[in-house]
Amino acid sequence: MTVPSTGPSLRILALGNDILGDDAFAFLVAQRVRERIPGVDVRCSSASGFHLLDDLLGVERLLVVDTVMTGNAPPGTVYVVREGDLEVTPGNSPHYTGIFETLALARALNLNAPREVLIIAVEAADCLTVGGPMHPAVEAVVPVIAEMVENTSRNFASELS
Amino acid sequence: MNTKVSIEPITRLEGHGKIEIYLDDKGNVDRAWFQVPELRGFEKFVQGRLPEDMPQITSRICGVCPTAHHMASTKALDDLYKVTPPAAAKKVRELVYSTFMTEDHTLHFYFLGGPDFVVGPTAPKAERNVLGVIAKVGIETGQKVIAMRRKLRELTALAAGKPIHPVFGLPGGVAKPLSAETLAQFKTVAAEAVDFALFTLDVFDKIVLQNSGYVDLIVSDGFTHKTYYMGMVDEKNRLNFYDGTMRVVAPEGNESARFASRDYAQYIAERTEPWSYMKFTYLKAPGWTGFNEGNSSGIYCVAPLARLNVTDGLATPRAQAAYEQYIKTLGKPVHHTLANHWARVIELLYAAERMQELANDPETGDSNVRTLPTEPPREGIGIVEAPRGTLIHHYKAGEDGRISNANLIVATQNNAARIALGVDKAARTLITGGKVDDGILNMVEMAFRAYDPCLGCATHSLPGSMPLRVNVHNPQGEMLTTVRRDSDGSIHRT
Repeated sequence: MTVPSTGPSLRILALGNDILGDDAFAFLVAQRVRERIPGVDVRCSSASGFHLLDDLLGVERLLVVDTVMTGNAPPGTVYVVREGDLEVTPGNSPHYTGIFETLALARALNLNAPREVLIIAVEAADCLTVGGPMHPAVEAVVPVIAEMVENTSRNFASELS
Repeated sequence: MNTKVSIEPITRLEGHGKIEIYLDDKGNVDRAWFQVPELRGFEKFVQGRLPEDMPQITSRICGVCPTAHHMASTKALDDLYKVTPPAAAKKVRELVYSTFMTEDHTLHFYFLGGPDFVVGPTAPKAERNVLGVIAKVGIETGQKVIAMRRKLRELTALAAGKPIHPVFGLPGGVAKPLSAETLAQFKTVAAEAVDFALFTLDVFDKIVLQNSGYVDLIVSDGFTHKTYYMGMVDEKNRLNFYDGTMRVVAPEGNESARFASRDYAQYIAERTEPWSYMKFTYLKAPGWTGFNEGNSSGIYCVAPLARLNVTDGLATPRAQAAYEQYIKTLGKPVHHTLANHWARVIELLYAAERMQELANDPETGDSNVRTLPTEPPREGIGIVEAPRGTLIHHYKAGEDGRISNANLIVATQNNAARIALGVDKAARTLITGGKVDDGILNMVEMAFRAYDPCLGCATHSLPGSMPLRVNVHNPQGEMLTTVRRDSDGSIHRT
């Protein structure tokens, strides 16, 4: 059983790395959202593995923005995934440990995990070049995703009122 | 914009864990390779930057151990400016570093190595994950691990500015001395960390060592390679993570080289292979003779197993006792890759005890924590022992005082050739006469997981089980078959 969160709340968690080309994507989205909705709970993290735990706990809903490189879709393709959509076997390395493994751990230990997790990810062209440029198709999606995040955040606020 | 709602398992990076196997005319393995994606462009990116920015920049290139990069970089800056930090600064750095090692080794043992060794190598795949570990050790222990981690993390934030990306390292010292309150907190948590490490050693003893099946697996031939080993030691040849002399021992265990950080390039060379992005390192003295084991091959390895092979003992009493038991059980040097997990628990105890020593050393709280550099920056090399092995930062500065050249050798590069040996051995065991056993995925995974190879990217949100792809080629290089395991754990063959 999961201990209920402290209160109805939403956090936006931007995952990426602003010195790795397209991996700056989520941080750019975060910056835009912060400018447009003052006081919104937005966090940026370049950490991986169980270090993500610090940013996951203590909220009811978590909206994650990230980049992926599946190689199966053109850069700029957007994926929207709910936690329950994926059958995931937790991995065995901090290099392969992500949000789902960390959430599974948090729930198994009755920590204060969010009850709902939504992930918006964009297909990146290159997240491996230090100081690399962003692909135009990825950069073009920044305002679109920022708006999606803002809408989610506003809808959530209106649900509460 | 292409919008798609996907419920397929997707992995963050295409090409993760790709293995290429080439068969000979008889359908047996000629050579097997393990591919990892690597970061590119680092050298160009840092050109023209201020040296003082390097500890912050380099700590950003790895989402798993930024503290190790921050520390290697800070030490490289000391050398770049030819400045010696005051004793207190060195102690503060080592205290923070020991805190980091305690945290990383704890997480690794329980949640990452745990699936193999706590849950068990023969347990069903579905249980071999973090949930299986918790089922085995109990929720209370799991909570203890998380609580320990949180406390260690808070200490890092207090001493180093930020918990994940420290910002305290400067050429010639650290940004601030430790206050009496902070030191008091270190003392309290360090005492808890020592108890926790002893508890963990006991968990390892009960679950692993008292199970002969596990011990048989550790010493099995499939996971054994006789190579050279490298690690850092103090003046008495005892392991040190933060500072010291590099020591190399031969497959027979005798010392074959000993050198100061700044001389590393006289002993270690890098080479590229056409099939990998990665630069492989080898020892210059034996030289490169291909992917071979033994005395005449320059292949060596780093990380806990290697460190306990190069050390003559551990500088703290309880870790020393644990080390003695390890050597008594496995002999020395230990060539069994899977013994890395045991060595890691012993190192955890050493890190916690060292943390306690430094927290209780009055000099650590001294207010003099900076020697201001007066020399212009020229060339600097800094080495630390990261959780996954030796990490080398090497910088050069131009006439304008800005970085002109940078080279990094990360733990996994040091281990890459030995990892390739392990993957090759697993492939040979499971492929004969052109028949490929699906079990190769597990064997191969075990062969490299003990090293926990650093990959050139932080994997954030979407992967599950590590995707693996094995491509089998005939001698002409044409692809014969592919065995693939997706993120959901399903296995496909084409």
